[in-house]
Amino acid sequence: MKRKPLLLRPFEGLAWLVAILCVAGVVHLVTIFILPHIAPHSAYARIAQQTTTGKLILLPAIGPGREILPYEDPAVALAACTFDLARGPARLRGQLAADALMMLSFHAQYGQTFYAMTDRSALRGRIEVVIATRAQLDDIEANDAEDELPQELRLEAPARQGFILLRALAERPSLMDEARGRLASLTCENTRTDGSGRALVGILGAQSTLALARD
Amino acid sequence: MKQFLKITATALAGAALGLAATYIMVSNGLSLDRALAGPWRAMPQVPATGGDPYARALIARSGQAPLGVAEGLAFTASVDSGGRKLDAACDYRVSGTMPGTRFWTLTVTDAEGRLVAPAAIPVARAGFTSSEILRDGQGGFDIRLAREARAGNWLPLAQPGAFMLTLRLYDFPLSLRAGALAAAEMPAIVAEQCS
Repeated sequence: MKRKPLLLRPFEGLAWLVAILCVAGVVHLVTIFILPHIAPHSAYARIAQQTTTGKLILLPAIGPGREILPYEDPAVALAACTFDLARGPARLRGQLAADALMMLSFHAQYGQTFYAMTDRSALRGRIEVVIATRAQLDDIEANDAEDELPQELRLEAPARQGFILLRALAERPSLMDEARGRLASLTCENTRTDGSGRALVGILGAQSTLALARD
Repeated sequence: MKQFLKITATALAGAALGLAATYIMVSNGLSLDRALAGPWRAMPQVPATGGDPYARALIARSGQAPLGVAEGLAFTASVDSGGRKLDAACDYRVSGTMPGTRFWTLTVTDAEGRLVAPAAIPVARAGFTSSEILRDGQGGFDIRLAREARAGNWLPLAQPGAFMLTLRLYDFPLSLRAGALAAAEMPAIVAEQCS
């Protein structure tokens, strides 16, 4: 006996439809969660192409057809610094100009903005930020002097790799070079160090002491 | 054998449907359910932990590095205050109030958010910062968008067609969030004559 066409057997048709929707739902959710990890032109990928790890690089000025990052403000100068905490903690430091807008955001490789600040949160015009893993932070804290508060901002990164994006506003087009100069005056460090984490903290600690002594 | 074919077809149809849904959700770098204030829509932001997985996927695909919450807020507008699509065939006036912030910038881009090539506009100017606009005696401002030069704060539009405005509020007070901004606090975009 020949069976009726599928459309005339409503329950069976419905069962297949439900199955299709279930598969679609699973595929949709999985791809949405995987996308940040596989997107080929993510902000991290774009910036990593322009920079070397642990070095502050001024990004080319934003202009028509020269948009390193999409949806950026043409009135803003950009600099970036990528880090890889497998090398050790990363460090950003420098002196900021008074009342000139500088914005700093700290991004993990797969898209989270894990911290952001502006020049207004700098202490006496100076910024010093350390980015580290939880274990590296524990090491740093274990080496802190008992009786003084740390002079630096310490951030725990949610991923091993990421980037710092610095934006300086040029209040007028003629001030763009000045804005780029303000960015270039900052330094970024993520030196590869050998040996244990503790030895590494010793080196970084010495560096920050030297930096403080220089001021 | 027939059963096997049916299962394969179901799996393929489901996968295609799921991928299509993902593509639709992330293909336009700005299309999400976002806070609205008049014609202005907040750009997505991604917090340190959690956050909207759709926002994360879309940001990763478009390659944007969104402003952190402490840096400020960004809004885009593709329609005027009357809800009609922004079109370079018309002249517009952006005026009214601006939420209290340290600096703001207003930028004109094409409908996809790309800057307009200087060859397409009479002067190479993509936007204004709050420091450079001319204000009236009360501190109010009035920005004219038109293809041809206008007196005062003029931003050139490129023919033809749709365009987008981006308003960035830098160093915006953290206590005030995008969702809390009312349309009345944001500048109005009013269409004037169209050609």
